[in-house]
Amino acid sequence: MNGAADLGGMMGFGPVVPEPEGELFHAEWERRVLAVTLAAGAMGRWTIDESRHVRESIPPAEYLTSSYYAIWLRGLEDLLVAHGLVSRDELAAGRAAGPGEPAKVLHAGDVAPALAAGTPYTREMATSARFAAGDRVRTRTMHPRGHTRLPRYARGHTGTVVAVRGGYVLPDRNAHGAGEQPEWLYTVRFDARELWGDDADPTSTVDIDAWESYLEP
Amino acid sequence: MVAVENTPDEHHVVVCTLCSCYPWPVLGLPPTWYKSAAYRSRVVIDPRGVLADLGVTLPASTRIAVHDSTAEVRYLVVPMRPPGTDDLDEDALAELVTRDSMIGTGLARVPGEAS
Repeated sequence: MNGAADLGGMMGFGPVVPEPEGELFHAEWERRVLAVTLAAGAMGRWTIDESRHVRESIPPAEYLTSSYYAIWLRGLEDLLVAHGLVSRDELAAGRAAGPGEPAKVLHAGDVAPALAAGTPYTREMATSARFAAGDRVRTRTMHPRGHTRLPRYARGHTGTVVAVRGGYVLPDRNAHGAGEQPEWLYTVRFDARELWGDDADPTSTVDIDAWESYLEP
Repeated sequence: MVAVENTPDEHHVVVCTLCSCYPWPVLGLPPTWYKSAAYRSRVVIDPRGVLADLGVTLPASTRIAVHDSTAEVRYLVVPMRPPGTDDLDEDALAELVTRDSMIGTGLARVPGEAS
């Protein structure tokens, strides 16, 4: 979808402000939001793709004026409500209206190993890859109302396949509960001028990872 | 995870314009600026300007390859070996590798430079 999260190429946000390497949170509640989000995700009720879709679905004016963890909190609330785990009334009241249903619990000691292990999204493919490294490809012009991982700035442009990454779960379907429908994934390189025009730095390129259905010969 | 190596000819920078994808298992949580609208919006269209914000100036002859992490492949930059480090062993070299140098928004420290 063309949501506010798709930021590539927007202007007006000001300079990038560095911080010391150890500084990762700016308030105690941010740590809590991260922890609760990880714990809720570990229940296994939704996929990472659905969680990204709820965040990109936040109204643009709210998304762009919210801090990172405020966006996560809003996304988590929407997921909990959508999956029937918490009601809007309970959120407003700040406490449960009744006993919760049993859930898979992520214990503190299991957090670091779970994060380090990650979740595999690679899948064996029964078909062969349509494209190979070196192929010129064009990204489709598309504006789906649902989730996609093809950024707006990279739609309808010609680039070169630089790597075939293997089969990967397709977020465009998986985010909407339509199953994994894995596709071949490619890294596609674009010259900056192809994406941004004559004023762009001629010595820079941008790579994206694109699923096969994003591409045409 | 894919490691991309910086050379005198090509410098790599990693971003996730759509959210905040980052090589957590290696680098831990991303810095706030990595997740900011300023970084995500601009590094794909003006990488040299963003590097300048972060105090990095590269030769005009160095190509910049920006990697937008749009899928579940994670990118890690291998910084260029600093000059004057021929005699250093692996542990001493590792001391020079900063987090930002592995995102591509910094360079490896040179021996003696403050951490």
